Amino acid sequence: MNLLTVNGLSKQFGARTVLQNVSFSVRQGEVLGLIGPNGAGKTTLFECLAGILPSDGGALRMNEQGLAPTQRKTALFYMPDGVTPWERQSVNWAVGFFERVYAGPIKATELLNTLKLESLRHARIGSLSKGERKRLLLAMGLLTSQPLLMLDEPFDGLDLLQTRDVMALLRSQTGRGRTLMLSIHQLVDAARVCDRLILLSDGRVVGEGTIDELRAQANLSDGGLPEARLEEIFLALT
Amino acid sequence: MRSLSSFPPLFSKEWRELTASRAYWLLLLAVGPLVGHGFINAVNLYAEASGVGGRPAALPQGLTPLDGMLAPTFGAYDLAVTLLFPFVAIRSIAAEKESGALKLALQFPFSVGEMVAAKLLALATGWLIAWLPGLIAVAMWRAYGGHLYALETLNLLLGHWLRMLLSAGVATAAAALAESAASAAIVTLGFTLGTWALDFIAAGRGGWLAALASYTPTAALRFFEQGLLRLSVVIVILALASAGLAIAAIWLHIGRKPGARLLRSVVLLGFIAAIVWLGSISRASWDLSENRRNSFSRADEVALRRVREPLRITINLAAEDPRLMDYERGILNKLRRILPRLEVDYAAQTRTGLFEGAEERYGEIWYELGGRKVMNRSTTGPIVVEQLYQLAGITAPANSDEPVFPGYPLAAHPKGASMIFYALWPLAVISIWGLARRQRR
Repeated sequence: MNLLTVNGLSKQFGARTVLQNVSFSVRQGEVLGLIGPNGAGKTTLFECLAGILPSDGGALRMNEQGLAPTQRKTALFYMPDGVTPWERQSVNWAVGFFERVYAGPIKATELLNTLKLESLRHARIGSLSKGERKRLLLAMGLLTSQPLLMLDEPFDGLDLLQTRDVMALLRSQTGRGRTLMLSIHQLVDAARVCDRLILLSDGRVVGEGTIDELRAQANLSDGGLPEARLEEIFLALT
Repeated sequence: MRSLSSFPPLFSKEWRELTASRAYWLLLLAVGPLVGHGFINAVNLYAEASGVGGRPAALPQGLTPLDGMLAPTFGAYDLAVTLLFPFVAIRSIAAEKESGALKLALQFPFSVGEMVAAKLLALATGWLIAWLPGLIAVAMWRAYGGHLYALETLNLLLGHWLRMLLSAGVATAAAALAESAASAAIVTLGFTLGTWALDFIAAGRGGWLAALASYTPTAALRFFEQGLLRLSVVIVILALASAGLAIAAIWLHIGRKPGARLLRSVVLLGFIAAIVWLGSISRASWDLSENRRNSFSRADEVALRRVREPLRITINLAAEDPRLMDYERGILNKLRRILPRLEVDYAAQTRTGLFEGAEERYGEIWYELGGRKVMNRSTTGPIVVEQLYQLAGITAPANSDEPVFPGYPLAAHPKGASMIFYALWPLAVISIWGLARRQRR
């Protein structure tokens, strides 16, 4: 069952087309990966979906109901990459604030433990390393209560072990009824954590489905590469 | 009910952000010595005029705490709200824009209007704390034996609060519209300089320019410093401050297309312009000064209210001529409050009046009522009022038996003020700043 359906989303910055007639769907309870090279339009797509950047065309439907930009924040939450919000506040305050605002099922202390942020509770956000900040942003995102959570580059800045733990944490969210959409730069990570994938190239969706479905779309199943990896599929589709 | 229950964490966030900003603590640090300097100078000057050392007071009736202590002491807040407070207000928005926090905040279950309201509330709370030195000064004045008249004191405080609201409105609008904090600071400074220029250009002129200039922050505050509460000023300043905050809310909504935001802004500004216009035609005002400096005697006011025809006054005095300033303060401001159909024409061609002698009309003030015209050079209240009675054919009322304002001489030294404002206040601010930093963790 589709949770979110995106139809014909487009966005231009001046004369430059960044998103061109983007259409896809997000299924209830899945981990959907958004992959594409730098400049493919992943972040712009997320920001348009979240309603923090106006799109030039297209429509969203949530559970088969129209979803106007003003309603987006009730249905989905987008955690951007590379932001350092409220840098003079502590980690403890930031997660506590999200916990108070959303009053979701997950407790802040639980997430601090899971994401190994316990020892950084009293650290200033501005003093965190890239990986620590990324884990904090993840914690803040997971404390929200919208049905669909969109995370931009959730593994960027994490080491191997942390990536594995965060993947497990994200997968466990679907068991709690949450749907995740992840923008992922590393194709290996995407293949490991995502149920389905959307391939974005030059602002267009060039493929959507499971790896097997994408392989078929790229005509690699019968073409001598039945075990083709995501990189090869991506290259074949773009 | 969601808004009510979710507002406390939103306000708490804004308050924490405010107290985490260096700009705010620097404002607190600076405001103590600024207020102290104004207060100490004011008390010393007041003591000199009151006959310090046992000499008789120079002119007891002229010694009012409003002019002598309150206005100069709280004048420090005018300086702070013009030059320091805007940076604190700008930071409350610019920091979120620049750090990416705005992208998160826009997805919170609050409207942008609630976000701006929370920022304003935090700024107002912060400003209230910055008022502690002023309130300490008032308490010290009372401790020295100084007199205070509640109505004129509260009126002055209201004027400064409106001034702060206007400053917050302008600064938040600039921060929402500009790309960076630096650009917002330039826009805000430009606004301040623009209002100063308008004040200067409009001085001694009539018409729409003078009407417009009477609502600049400096001019508006001057009414309150004179103990006058004008409804039009309150409405216009509140409308302009609200416009700034609403513009900020519109432009912070980055999910809307710029064209849609522009359209909303135009509609809003049209609405605000209508309120400003409606507010500006209101003539309601209250003289809250203890010595009724903005009013003729009650008997004269009753008599002058009987003048129904339009009165036209043509003044041949230059803007910088002290006689015009006396005339404005002592006569025109009082007449404007009681004559609904008063028209004033400023006929002088230059600012100083030094080169207007050749016309031989310089210094003349013409009064025209019901087709009758009369000229008088006097800028003294009783003479002008007598002239108006003659022109209007009204019998002058009998001499008033209103009590004469006695004045409140006070030959006190500002004992302990230097210690409090120059040493203890900065020390307290620095200590609490350090504690707050530690507590944030």
